[in-house]
Amino acid sequence: MDWEIIHIPAKLPSSTEQAAVEVIAATIEPKLANTLVRKLNQICPLENLRHVKRIRKRIIEGQVELAVILCLSFGSSEHMEGMPNDLLQLINTYQLSPFIARVAECPALSKEEWEEQCKLWPTSYHPPSSLDGVGGFSEEDSQSIINFMKVAIQLAKPNILGGEAVNAAVIVDPMSKQVIAYGSDQTFSLPSTIIESCSHIGKEPTNSSSQPGGNSPPNNGYLVPKLTPNKHKQPYHRVSCLHPWGWTELNPYDPKPPEKCDSDYAWHPLRHAALVAIENAAARDRTLFPNPASSIKHSTSMDNLLQPDDIPSKRLKINTPENEKLIEEAVKNFSTSETTRPYLCTGFDIFLVWEPCTMCAMALVHQRIRRIFYAFPNPNDGALGSVHRLQGEKSLNHHYSVFRILAPSLEEHI
Amino acid sequence: MAFEETLISDSNNAFMELALEQARIALENLEVPVGCVIVEDGTVIASGRNRTTETRNATRHAEMDAIDSLLRKWQKIGLDQFQVAEKFSKCDIHVTCEPCIMCASALFILGIRKVYYGCGNDKFGGCGSILSLHEKDPENLSRGNPSNRKGFKCTGGVMAEEAIALLRSFYEQGNPNAPKPHRPVRITQ
Repeated sequence: MDWEIIHIPAKLPSSTEQAAVEVIAATIEPKLANTLVRKLNQICPLENLRHVKRIRKRIIEGQVELAVILCLSFGSSEHMEGMPNDLLQLINTYQLSPFIARVAECPALSKEEWEEQCKLWPTSYHPPSSLDGVGGFSEEDSQSIINFMKVAIQLAKPNILGGEAVNAAVIVDPMSKQVIAYGSDQTFSLPSTIIESCSHIGKEPTNSSSQPGGNSPPNNGYLVPKLTPNKHKQPYHRVSCLHPWGWTELNPYDPKPPEKCDSDYAWHPLRHAALVAIENAAARDRTLFPNPASSIKHSTSMDNLLQPDDIPSKRLKINTPENEKLIEEAVKNFSTSETTRPYLCTGFDIFLVWEPCTMCAMALVHQRIRRIFYAFPNPNDGALGSVHRLQGEKSLNHHYSVFRILAPSLEEHI
Repeated sequence: MAFEETLISDSNNAFMELALEQARIALENLEVPVGCVIVEDGTVIASGRNRTTETRNATRHAEMDAIDSLLRKWQKIGLDQFQVAEKFSKCDIHVTCEPCIMCASALFILGIRKVYYGCGNDKFGGCGSILSLHEKDPENLSRGNPSNRKGFKCTGGVMAEEAIALLRSFYEQGNPNAPKPHRPVRITQ
């Protein structure tokens, strides 16, 4: 059966029908347009209506008629009520006669919708760029996307250490098709003996031996104790984003915390896969581009930051040979010239097995991720369509595109 | 009663002053100036400041910084998950700016008791401005979870002018780390 990539829009499909809001507008002399728009943008910026054009131009009986939006309507029948004083002053100065108009509430998602909107009041329309894939993926891109999702699924699989499926995240530069960083849930602790034995595994798929703390030799032959059988009936209860409050359950492997804990955290309620991957991407950035963009003043704090003591939990799941191979295939050598230095994760994609929770979804906004791909929805706390829809929160300073990857037999993969 | 309220408000301002001190340190380090302190039984047990530029990790907000230092401390003295959850449920956080959607979710996951914040965050505030995560009911969100914790209480506007003044001085000097903005930066609230 074929895999399928579905775009998860910023708005529910049902809300794409014309939702309109009322504004107060006035016709103006064309020569006043520049002055008035400048003043109005200061007095009453249209914060949540950036897609709406401030000026409407119509030709009526051969004459150009300009109208400008003064402000949002305050919903009262006496529409001058509640207007800021500056605006009232402006209306008096230029002898404007305000009237109520209706404008589209949300940016248009399609050309057809945009044409419909402009019948109310002109708006601007930005067709989704083909780079984002909202308008569909090429065969080559689809294949690459599916392959990276397979890498994420490998990381999420129950393995000899975890024993149960967790969420996993892979951050990818889609231009070079390189894995930038990856991570899986670290909400629960591992048995302390295993933490020690696998602490040599670096965060980066490559050069793990050069990682701070990578001093102990690999011990791939470590025998793993038989794991406690799953006593919980809930499926995937170790997936952090699905069960954000599950961290208070004691770990079946490790009822007592280790007496001495070398790494900073044996467990951490907030170390969900996406946050771990973001941290690893940031660590990669600091390692590859050690000179901070700002000032030398930072060098001391940067040095401290890179001390092994300060690197939070260094453990990573031991990968099966199959995983290693998949990851190795996905990772190539990094180019380290300053021109390739990223600003956070601008332009990068992230592949997550489960839809991220609200915390993780907002973290991905902060880190400027370009596209999110996930396989399973998260009915408990999913923030990309299931419970919230952060990609549609207009006030945020960054917006990513969201896709779900479907495969008929995907459940069997985990 | 009025006297007690005055006392509480005075001590809250004292905690916020400490959070502002953290924000000032962030500003000196060319970070967006936001700081916080976590308080248990009237004592500051952790402080944090924004370190997003230094770490190149945009999730390293003041709240996350303080939370990490507490988790490190509590695990070092051997507390387990139950005990840590118990501890968090008796802690309040005082932060100079309304926690963002990520931090508000994090504080809710940890089960913190109360959040006091300075200025609101009309771009990505998670305590009422954009989403109201503190009012969520975890019972509905995480079915079958034995947890009976509720959302946290939230009080905004504590010494907001000072918090805004700090943010303003940061944006006036310009964020050296940010890409060129498409639109002029506006100070929130």
